[in-house]
Amino acid sequence: MNRYVFYNFMLVSFINLMLYVPHILIQYRYTGAVSSIVIGILIGTILVYLYTSAMARFPGKGLPEILKLYSPKWLVSIMMFFLAIMWWFATTVVVVAYAVLINRFFNPDANTIVILIMLVLACGYAATRSTLSVMFVVEIGLIINAPIILFVLFKAVRSTQLSWDAIRIVANYVTAMPTLSCIAAASFIFTGYINLSLFNRLLPPNFRFKFRFVYPLFGAMILLITFFVPIGFHGTEGVAQYIYVWSLTADSLLMQYGFIERVLFLFLLVYLNLTLVYTMSGWHQAMEFVKSCIPSYKPEIDSPKTPLSNYVIVGIFALLSVLYLVMTNEKINMMITSYWLIVRLFVEIFIVIWVFVLSRKGAKAA
Amino acid sequence: MRLYIRIFLALFAVCLLGGCGFKDIDKRFFVVALGIDQSDNEKKPYRLTLQLAVPSPKIEPGASKTQIESIDSQSIAEGVRMLKAYVDKELDFGHCKVFLIGEKLARTDYQNLLQWMSRRRDIQSVADIAIGKPDAESLLQVQPLSERYPGNTLFLSFGADGTESSYTYVESVSDFSRRASEKGLDPLMPVIYKDNKESFIINRTALLNKKRVKLVLSSTESQLFNQLANDFTKSSMHGMFEGMDLVVAITAIHSNFRIGKQNGEDTITMNIKMRVVFEEAPKGLYDEQWRPIEISLNQEYAKSCIALLKKIQKANVDPIGFGLRYRANHPGKDVWKEWKSIYPNIAFKVNADIRIEGTGLIK
Repeated sequence: MNRYVFYNFMLVSFINLMLYVPHILIQYRYTGAVSSIVIGILIGTILVYLYTSAMARFPGKGLPEILKLYSPKWLVSIMMFFLAIMWWFATTVVVVAYAVLINRFFNPDANTIVILIMLVLACGYAATRSTLSVMFVVEIGLIINAPIILFVLFKAVRSTQLSWDAIRIVANYVTAMPTLSCIAAASFIFTGYINLSLFNRLLPPNFRFKFRFVYPLFGAMILLITFFVPIGFHGTEGVAQYIYVWSLTADSLLMQYGFIERVLFLFLLVYLNLTLVYTMSGWHQAMEFVKSCIPSYKPEIDSPKTPLSNYVIVGIFALLSVLYLVMTNEKINMMITSYWLIVRLFVEIFIVIWVFVLSRKGAKAA
Repeated sequence: MRLYIRIFLALFAVCLLGGCGFKDIDKRFFVVALGIDQSDNEKKPYRLTLQLAVPSPKIEPGASKTQIESIDSQSIAEGVRMLKAYVDKELDFGHCKVFLIGEKLARTDYQNLLQWMSRRRDIQSVADIAIGKPDAESLLQVQPLSERYPGNTLFLSFGADGTESSYTYVESVSDFSRRASEKGLDPLMPVIYKDNKESFIINRTALLNKKRVKLVLSSTESQLFNQLANDFTKSSMHGMFEGMDLVVAITAIHSNFRIGKQNGEDTITMNIKMRVVFEEAPKGLYDEQWRPIEISLNQEYAKSCIALLKKIQKANVDPIGFGLRYRANHPGKDVWKEWKSIYPNIAFKVNADIRIEGTGLIK
């Protein structure tokens, strides 16, 4: 069962490219990005360890149930509603960014809103399924796509175009003071563990977290590639001019004997899948959190019949996402995302510490 | 109830499909090469030349047909828009794999052009870029005899699928745009000539600074440069030994460089390791001692390398990336200023290490 925890972690660490994480880090490449990455890795690792060891004390329980054990209901409801907004936002940003990306790279004639509606319908339907089904979809999505992503990353790292001198120049700026927005962006890679808040319900009573050292290693590897490979490809100066820096990096690669010569299209297709899977998983979690605010709520992981409330809540999410696209543009979206990343960091630290304290308390009481 | 919802959703999705703006492949003109020149008209400084593929049912040498359209315009983007009015099908840059810059434009300022290329989403970063001499338009008019697909000749000349010439430096758009902005690494491009109506010659390399062409290397220098910067094998080298002409083929080459102080002087030390086989040599060479031959080849190779490096240094460009390495090795704020004052006076030292593998099939 450990692999289900790892899928969540992997999914979020891959999706960072869609949340402008490389863009934010690269903007600050001379002014603190490198040291922020180091700190981000540390923070991420600590949070992963704290949260998993806390969650291990509450087998089969999600975050709402754990909080309800020790705190008043109204407080939990407010908290859960707030978290639902956070989760909704994380995924909406991604799916909106991807709709814009399709418009830019695949078909500039198509209407972005129409594209978004299509994406949102697919994700929305998937998100209304039961928690168990959602987890299985995440698994299938990752098994299909992760090898291709790793292939593209490997190809990029092995490419002769990659300039190690440029990478070393930027790495030398490790002494610059870290900045908050960079730390927030860097630690996002590790944030997949927080999905345990819901998916912990799926874990059996005798579950033990194993191979926890893999999380920091994998996260650090992805983070370093995310940040340094575009710099090696586009140079220390040129890299800052690109908005879709990883799409451009994939476009600089050539698969001479692949079915499609341009790696870009392979890359975009794979990220389309990941975006759909990520949005589905995020909306599903947000939906469950909203439902946990309802007094008569009972957690279920595999209900035979889909409750109507699922459709209503996800429908609202979908509408809000379309509204979000209409109200924002690329620039505002990126700005909001960078603020969201910072808020997320603090909210996550808060949750992790809260749950960790509760888990120790529980141990003493028992 | 649920069945109806499902059917409705499926129908809804189908309805949305009609909204996409896809055009059929036979309603598109595929641009296979784009040439950009400087025109004589001051108000419309750019002359764009598009090589459009004309689809043909036959695939055989010489069957390729292309249509050439050119236009003078005030800016590149407007020119491309305007050209749409000249043709009946939608222009598609998705297969445009070669960009030619006219020599005149490359000698004035290429930054505008580069910006347009980076901004356009349908210009692929893996496309090749080159300078056309005397201008891009006349080169695109050339109709090579053996061409099977439209625009294939130029593209094959650059890729590793067709010919691999040691004289041709291959530059991609993404690499060019990196070099055009990087501190300590300058752009370079192959120069294409035409010899007659049917073929191209690509054996020279132009070195550019951040704005225009500074130096055009001769064909021998281009080959030497490819060996130094790209570790290009499949190339040859000419040398003399006791008055005899020798030509060797390089089977393996590996070069690296160090920047440091030697005898109180800033020096770039290049180490070049090579394994070679004789292609042209006087008979009886097999029985002689190879070591003296290697030594004299080493000396000669080092001499020509230093001459090339000095020439590049004099033009004040840095296509190999010495500046980038210096910046990587010396962290600090003023390192770039420092390097700019060092580079014009830096000394070069080349250590060639040539190993003779054999004399070919005969003694």
